[in-house]
Amino acid sequence: MRALCWNGINDLGVETVGDPRIVNPHDVILQVRMSTTCGSDLHFIDGDIPTMRKGDVIGHEFMGTVVEKGPAVKKVQVGDRVVVPSFICCGSCWYCQHDLWSLCDNTNPQGELQEPLFGAQTAGIYGYTHAFGGYAGAHAQFVRVPHADNDCFRVPEGVTDEQALFLSDAVPTGYMGAEFCDIQPGQTVAVWGCGGVGLMAQKAAFLLGAERVIGIDRLPERLKLAREKVGAETLSYEEVDSVQDVLKELTGGRGPDACIDAVGMEAHGTGVGYAYERAKQALHLQTDRGQALRQAILACRKGGILSVLGVYGFMDAFPMGALMNKGLTVRAAQQHGQKYLPRLLEHVVKGELDPSFLATHRFSLEDAPKGYELFKKKQDGCVRAVFLPN
Amino acid sequence: MRDTIQQPGARSPAVPPRGGSQRRSPFGRDGQRTSEERLPQLVSALAGGALLTLGLQRGRLGGVAMALAGGGLLFRGTRTEQEPYVRRHGVVVRKFRRQRGRDATVELTVLQRSITIQGTPEALHRRWLDAETLSQVMGHFADVTSPGEGLQHWRVPGVLGKDLEWDAQVVEERPGELLRWQSVGDTALPNEGWVRFRPAPRDWGTEVTLRFVFDPPGGILGEKAVQLLGAVPAALARMALKRFKSLVESGEIPTTRPNPAAREGGYAS
Repeated sequence: MRALCWNGINDLGVETVGDPRIVNPHDVILQVRMSTTCGSDLHFIDGDIPTMRKGDVIGHEFMGTVVEKGPAVKKVQVGDRVVVPSFICCGSCWYCQHDLWSLCDNTNPQGELQEPLFGAQTAGIYGYTHAFGGYAGAHAQFVRVPHADNDCFRVPEGVTDEQALFLSDAVPTGYMGAEFCDIQPGQTVAVWGCGGVGLMAQKAAFLLGAERVIGIDRLPERLKLAREKVGAETLSYEEVDSVQDVLKELTGGRGPDACIDAVGMEAHGTGVGYAYERAKQALHLQTDRGQALRQAILACRKGGILSVLGVYGFMDAFPMGALMNKGLTVRAAQQHGQKYLPRLLEHVVKGELDPSFLATHRFSLEDAPKGYELFKKKQDGCVRAVFLPN
Repeated sequence: MRDTIQQPGARSPAVPPRGGSQRRSPFGRDGQRTSEERLPQLVSALAGGALLTLGLQRGRLGGVAMALAGGGLLFRGTRTEQEPYVRRHGVVVRKFRRQRGRDATVELTVLQRSITIQGTPEALHRRWLDAETLSQVMGHFADVTSPGEGLQHWRVPGVLGKDLEWDAQVVEERPGELLRWQSVGDTALPNEGWVRFRPAPRDWGTEVTLRFVFDPPGGILGEKAVQLLGAVPAALARMALKRFKSLVESGEIPTTRPNPAAREGGYAS
């Protein structure tokens, strides 16, 4: 089959690779209908995180049609049109049983690569470094999906492929971040980042009852989407002296009740090389990229909630004093998509949520490297490039 | 009183060794323990090796720097052989030096890990005894077959240019609590091991601890055997437990073999 592969730093190529096969009894093979870029892919494309190998198939946000199933798959049927969360989850370990899906114990065959940095192992991800399992990704004609009965969610009639696609990662990640905020009537939520995840976090904050949502970014076209598609107020951090001051003024001097970081760090912690990478890279990169999280901590009202969706490894100059003395509550996770998929599909069916506006550009699989280029450089107003591999 | 090293739990075996084996355990504790805690070094060495490999694959300045850092970690991981043994709660990988004769010392390699698994101790114990379980769980480093009840044949492929093999016999069994085995007969690498099952708090299931002790005879051959076995990562016990857990909880052991990739003919793990 054809697949988009990582051939080296800033070197993506569409290659011919073997077709995926049923390996374990709970696997299915999906014919990919749509897949999309994610900001977190840029870290290994740029070479900022290790444990990629030349020729790895990338891509973790996707939906498709089941074409083959393993002997132990019961619920999912061949022919089903399904969306699959980017984290692979067994559904039976303690973490899955407690709705902490991205912490699944049983799906990362190379989890020992994470131990030195995280002190633990997380679930596996499709197409996202060997530290996260080394599974082949979904920017391909076909992809193997383990534990299909837990991880495949049937897309109802009337829900389009594009609407379903973003339920794979951007929407559940944003929704989880808003749920972390424990939003009460009348509250204000500020969201750093107006990319796919940030916009969905803003939308979810409204769905969960926020009175006001403030989106922060620097790109005019993304701020425009936040205003027009989500209904958020917006703030361009390049146009104000102090984001913190403006947020305070917008909230009667208190600060937002909850702050969501949907930005993350350029280089994030997914492997043994991270500590070293951070030391190697000049601090300016780190301070630039850690800015969102620091701002969020300083801007948040006393006793408020800090919800971290951005991906991090190590961070220095972390304002622990502000966090502690203001009595903030920090909540963070990689997405627990399996928890949210049923209710998100319901929101889409009811017309309360339509994430398809994130799909600003479409490409064939053969043109996927161009799609990543556009996405990476945020050219032509690109929020997400969508690929159609078949 | 049998002279064995560190029994599971703080008590003597409730059941005497089976099969009429009255030989003295090879794991006598007649020497002072002077070896060092090895875990941080092993982690460091593993990490260093991974970095080195990755760095060398990358081929630009960053890659070279990464490889250098990897080498640094490797150095840290291997240079501390002479440091004194540090006793610390929870140490899971270490070597014991044991006096053999008047001057010679021999190292026992002890690998111990614990993991928490959904399920009752009884159910997990039964699953461990299942004929297919051991061969699947140990599949990452050894082929284990069960020629008879309470007997196992272990084969570690490709050590010293030939397979490293031994027969093991179950010497102690307490249902829902413990299973202990020892190698019998001649082998380059005498060893014993046990797996212990203890109820975990609340709804966590069962805490399972697995321990391997490798006790080579003196001489170059024995040392080489352990070195080579140690090169099959020292995470051996942890890997075995993780595989057991995944098999029991999720019905399969996660793997990416074969995995589509643009190398090695279209598939690679």
